Amino acid sequence: MKVEPLLYGDRKVYTVSAFNRGIASWVARLPSIWVEGEVTEFRRQQGWQSVFFTLKDSTDGACLPVTMPRSRFDALRLDLADGMTVHVFGRPELYEARGVFQLRALSVEPLGLGAILAGLERLKRKLAAEGLFASERKRPLPLLPRKIGVLTGNDAAAKRDFVTAVQSRFPAAHLVVAQTYVQGQAAPAAISATLQALAREPEIDVIVLTRGGGSFEDLLPFSDERVVRTVAECPVPVVSAVGHEQDTPLCDHAADLRASTPTAAARLVVPDERELRERLDAARAVLARGAKGALERARSSLARDRERLDRAPALLVERKRAGLEALAGRLQALSPQRTLARGYAIVRTDNEIVRSGADLEAGNRVDVELAHGGFGALVEETRR
Amino acid sequence: MSEEGSFEDARRELEQIVAKLEGGQASLEEAVALWERGELLYRTCVGKLDAAEGKIEELGKRVEEARP
Repeated sequence: MKVEPLLYGDRKVYTVSAFNRGIASWVARLPSIWVEGEVTEFRRQQGWQSVFFTLKDSTDGACLPVTMPRSRFDALRLDLADGMTVHVFGRPELYEARGVFQLRALSVEPLGLGAILAGLERLKRKLAAEGLFASERKRPLPLLPRKIGVLTGNDAAAKRDFVTAVQSRFPAAHLVVAQTYVQGQAAPAAISATLQALAREPEIDVIVLTRGGGSFEDLLPFSDERVVRTVAECPVPVVSAVGHEQDTPLCDHAADLRASTPTAAARLVVPDERELRERLDAARAVLARGAKGALERARSSLARDRERLDRAPALLVERKRAGLEALAGRLQALSPQRTLARGYAIVRTDNEIVRSGADLEAGNRVDVELAHGGFGALVEETRR
Repeated sequence: MSEEGSFEDARRELEQIVAKLEGGQASLEEAVALWERGELLYRTCVGKLDAAEGKIEELGKRVEEARP
């Protein structure tokens, strides 16, 4: 289509209508394509020729207006509603009257389970690659949290299970409960905002996300990228207790700890008070025993030392006496008395012991000592 | 997350002291000092348990504001 400008001297000027028509004809040459997004602002009325909705990119909020002829839309028999993720096959076009760029839909397909699963898998890989699920990010839970934040849906069962389990284990627990939408279009934003609000509360040392079981679709908000990121970035440790054992929404991976049920979550966040007190008492008993043991060991070693000290002088005398007696024995063994007793005699002359006949001459006087007494004698003859 | 002198810090130190005393290697002076410290920690822990009061608060208002 030829678009004619107005001429003002050298200047070519287009009317709005001509400009829009020109751009529209250029846009119309683009091929038809598939676009994925979340349905918002869905509008369909009996009198209207077309249905309208806006496709929104859930990650950054980028928007694209979509129109579809009502007859064609109705023929699809779709129960389309805000919040659904869809694939739209359509032609890009410029709505000339308003200069609005839009997608003229030829077909709309709600994302099937397969596509949803594929999307989740893609998101999981992306977040894992960013390190959001890394085990080194996981923080230990406090043994005794000052306050426990609880994010729960309006379903009473999960909340009741959790609160009951907490109170039976640790009656003194301080819970801060925040209820919010956990299902449907508004849920991801609501869950993120509520989680952040809980994290801002003073003295909350751990937050539990809890929601009872539900269908796969019901639990999808807990796999929403915003929610998963909020969980990962939460300044206090988060325990995820969403759905049942077999459900693993992505927030389970981002949380510091995962619990299969609300009751299991309670066991993770509070200690059993009775058991805790018993263990403290046991520790104290060991402590007292240890101190007493050390005292007794010290006392008995002191007593042993004392006894040794007491015995020391007596032992000394004893030892000396024994030494003396041994000496006396040896002395006795050496004395000539015992030799005399066996019949020998000692002969002296002039107080000198006579050892040889040559020392004497006939007529010398000698003195003979015997074992008992002795006698004097005169030498009659000598032998050499 | 927890302020200084938290329950877990006291509890952890108490356990370490108990382990040390159980080892039986401590001298008398050490043992008495450990026991005194341990007894204090025990009282701290039990005191914290006694002081806690069960409570359930609703974060209603603030959540209302947070709702889209």
